Amino acid sequence: MSDTSPERAGGATGAEPGTLSQTIVFSDASVVRSGRTVLDRISIGFEEPRVGIVGLNGSGKSTLLKCIIGLVAPSAGAITVDGRDAIRDARAVRRTTGFLFQDPDNQIVMPLVAEDLAFGLKNHGFSAAEIATRVAAALDRLAITHLRERRIHELSGGEKQLVALAGVLALEPRTVLFDEPTSHLDLKNRNRLRDVLQALPEQAIVVSHDLDLLADFPRVVMIEAGRVVRDGAAREVIARYREANR
Amino acid sequence: MIAALARPGTSPLHRIAAAPKLAGLAIVATVLFFVDEPRLLAAAFAAALVVARSTGTRFAEIGRDLRGAAVVLAVLGLADWWLIDGPTAIAVVLRLAAIALFAHAVTMTTSTAELTEVLERIFGPAERLGLLDAARAALTVTLALRFVPLIVEEANAIREAQAARGLDASPLALAVPLMVRVIVRSEALADAIDARGFPPEGARRGAARHIPARPPSP
Repeated sequence: MSDTSPERAGGATGAEPGTLSQTIVFSDASVVRSGRTVLDRISIGFEEPRVGIVGLNGSGKSTLLKCIIGLVAPSAGAITVDGRDAIRDARAVRRTTGFLFQDPDNQIVMPLVAEDLAFGLKNHGFSAAEIATRVAAALDRLAITHLRERRIHELSGGEKQLVALAGVLALEPRTVLFDEPTSHLDLKNRNRLRDVLQALPEQAIVVSHDLDLLADFPRVVMIEAGRVVRDGAAREVIARYREANR
Repeated sequence: MIAALARPGTSPLHRIAAAPKLAGLAIVATVLFFVDEPRLLAAAFAAALVVARSTGTRFAEIGRDLRGAAVVLAVLGLADWWLIDGPTAIAVVLRLAAIALFAHAVTMTTSTAELTEVLERIFGPAERLGLLDAARAALTVTLALRFVPLIVEEANAIREAQAARGLDASPLALAVPLMVRVIVRSEALADAIDARGFPPEGARRGAARHIPARPPSP
């Protein structure tokens, strides 16, 4: 890395799956919007390499993810990531914590693939040489180097999702937050994303309605009306979730 | 509308930096507005064709990229012909067509990243006067380039859904849901841009410029 680049945030392309992580702590955190309680006094910590979050639409899953990188401020309580406050230290938190949005079209900013991967790196002050290296590495990591010069609007939904993920991974975060990553994907691309997810060295916190995606996770949290109502091994929590929503 | 985005290449225009190309385009466009002689404008149009082709883009691709602009020019030409006279209409169409072709050549050979950097420099003095935020203004232009195709897709999807439900083409019926979708998308996009570390570290002048997290309701 060049001297002009910011401190390497972590992350590695050759590391074992799930070997990177951060400690994310919600301390009595609530979010109230337009008079509605979206998150209700949540106190929970995440440090496992894989955490799944399930819940019905409107239960507060996505808001919980957005709180981690300071996109939504809590009305009460606090959220910290490795001891840094998610609101006050949002920039530092966002350097080590990536976010993959549900719809890649809402995440990809630049019209060309390589330019979009460079977008986040430029924002975080990386040098041109480091940007070129990281863009190439991120594309190679997801086996999408052939898309490098393609226009975003000409890509398929699955390709866009991989490009969006490459943009996140280019920053070499320690944690990636996934907000319903497979909801726009066909079966083939869903399987591909699942394989990519399984191999990631980064910690992954995944909000999803795709219960198969979370089936092998060491921990799954169930949210209902802004509260954590179940927290445990995937098999147990998913079974309860299915049962509760027959 | 010029539906073109940069394509990699090695043409002479590809090798020129973005700033001189944009400056050249501005000068040529300004000069052409002071030229009324149809033969000179025809020569400019021919030169523009040569320049556009020199980027490695085939005429068929240029035609496809500029078909929206061609429709506008045709309407404008017919209106001028009807309201003023033939020579004026020909001059107007040749002038605007030449400018569109030169602009096409510049956009085809200039990456969006380069364009954004130049725009940030152009907006720099206005930022120093406190009139705007250069990084955000440049990003706005970039987003326009990125999202025009997406908005067209959204419009087509709405039109198809309305047709499936028996609704005839209606600009108002299209505009309202399209606007709603664009607003919803813009909110999600704002979150994504924030999450990706915008504004750039060097561009930040202080906490006041930082986009705050969405505040909770009181």
